[in-house]
Amino acid sequence: MIIDARELRKTFTTKSRKGTQTVEAVKEVSLQVDKGQIYGVLGPNGAGKTTTIRMLATLITPDSGTATVAGHNLLKEPGLVRRSLGYVSQAGGVDENVSPRAQITFGARIYGVADVENAVESVLKRLDLVEFADRPARTLSGGQKRRVAIGLGLVHSPPLLFLDEPTTGLDPQNRANLWDRIAELREQGTSVLLSTHYLEEADALCDRLAIVDHGVIVAEGTASELKRQIQGDVISLRLDDLGRGAEVLAPYAKETRVDDDLLRVYVDDGEHTLPSLLRTLEERQLQIKSIAMTSATLDDVFLAKTGRSLRDTGAES
Amino acid sequence: MIRDTWLFFGYEMRALMRNPVWPLLGLMQPVLYLLLFAPLFAGQAFNGDMGKALDVFAPGMLVMTALFSSFTAGYGTIMELKSGVLERLAVSPASRPSILLGRMLRDTVMLLVQSAVFLVLGFVLGMRIGVVALLLMLLLMVATGLMAAGAAYGLALATKDENAMGSIMQFVMLPLMLLSGALLPMAYGPAWLEKVAWFTPFYHPTEAGRALFAGDFGDFNVLLGFVIMLGLAALTISWSVRGLRRLAG
Ligand SMILES: Nc1ncnc2c1ncn2[C@@H]1O[C@H](COP(=O)(O)OP(=O)(O)OP(=O)(O)O)[C@@H](O)[C@H]1O
Ligand SMILES: [Mg+2]
Repeated sequence: MIIDARELRKTFTTKSRKGTQTVEAVKEVSLQVDKGQIYGVLGPNGAGKTTTIRMLATLITPDSGTATVAGHNLLKEPGLVRRSLGYVSQAGGVDENVSPRAQITFGARIYGVADVENAVESVLKRLDLVEFADRPARTLSGGQKRRVAIGLGLVHSPPLLFLDEPTTGLDPQNRANLWDRIAELREQGTSVLLSTHYLEEADALCDRLAIVDHGVIVAEGTASELKRQIQGDVISLRLDDLGRGAEVLAPYAKETRVDDDLLRVYVDDGEHTLPSLLRTLEERQLQIKSIAMTSATLDDVFLAKTGRSLRDTGAES
Repeated sequence: MIRDTWLFFGYEMRALMRNPVWPLLGLMQPVLYLLLFAPLFAGQAFNGDMGKALDVFAPGMLVMTALFSSFTAGYGTIMELKSGVLERLAVSPASRPSILLGRMLRDTVMLLVQSAVFLVLGFVLGMRIGVVALLLMLLLMVATGLMAAGAAYGLALATKDENAMGSIMQFVMLPLMLLSGALLPMAYGPAWLEKVAWFTPFYHPTEAGRALFAGDFGDFNVLLGFVIMLGLAALTISWSVRGLRRLAG
């Protein structure tokens, strides 16, 4: 396990003319991330994603709770924790006045990388930065800058990388490109903890995810596990004999329902059930006129757990 | 920590040299004072004797240069806070004090370059000072500059906002500046004003500087100037480092 966090808590107190205000940014977060996983923390604005990541990255001391990060105790050995991680903040941390090459080189020096030149070249290549590596960073596009930020977090080849909202503000094409790059990290065995408020991102990229809201994890698991908690998949069929179809398919289903000319079969795992379901229909010589499979989305999960839709919280704007 | 400080210093210097326009503009300020204000001062108080006037005027200007050039560095820190650069460095294994010490070293080098330009021009205009006094003066500048840099970085990290920082700086700086006697010696004013000035921090390096320019190494004010500036520098620098430790709340 690369991250094992138990009951982390953080309350912020801000003083203003209107008196002191306390915000329970993180109320009780426990996270277990396995080596080599891409783990997503999905939640709307203000859910406590950044605060959680900052605590795990040694920037904020938790009020209570413990964690082991990359094999080291977060509270007792923050120095060793820092050596083992890369951290890309929500703001990015790119120095506007300096070229990507110069700042990534300097990053490698801070971490005491043995072969600096090689490490820098490999990061520049891997993230497609070579072309503009020598321009001041302020002349780069948003997507390019984001890749520089990730390069800064990766140059010392950390076993664990934190990415705080890596694709927020990027257009769909840049976002998909960045997903590919992050997915490549998994192949190299780098563990990634990323936060996001994009459902698609959590769905497409993450091996496991935690859905947080108001500083609490409301659901945790793989994307398909989470969706299955809600209703699993729905296979909708049009058959020549709906009644017999329902009878024949009952063993596969949590529930079957006939609506007009449509047979709905609720199953746990549609992708794996579908082939045998089709075989059975063929064996019983039932004629299929049409078939469709739909699945619960993560938004359905969020809705079920919080009574609100992620899409309504301004997260998508 | 020393290795890290040196690393940060090197990086910051290279970044500075890549954009030398801004530091060059910074050089202009003391030069303008020397060219456009010193003659007025000489005419008013010394019957136009520029050499004598500069002995009184130059130390004040140098102290002011030290204060301003270091204070402006605080704005860069706010930028680095907002862009997440400091956050990234704070998560790195580099020692956190070095992050600021490296920057202060850069500011010190800048300050010494500015002072050198000022002094060369001063000599051309008739200023006179001995070698030992000059070196001590530069040392005093470094102490004053470090004190101001610590205050500027500390304030930037505490307010995290350029507007708040700017207002506080102006609110505090203007009275302290006037009371330092950098522009006109406090001795020209009523006694009560000088007494008040004695209790403000920048009065002392200014007085110490004037004593050095006059060649009075034994003057108590010299010792006092150094002690006060070094003491305050230690305070402001540790304040700024504490601010960096609490970077994210
Ligand atoms: N330094 C701080 N001081 C006071 N309150 C804070 C601080 N940092 C965060 N908060 C508050 O804690 C809560 C959680 O903030 P956090 O930044 O962790 O949310 P987030 O999930 O990252 O949101 P976003 O998607 O907008 O980045 C918010 O209500 C925020 O206002
Ligand atoms: Mg955030």
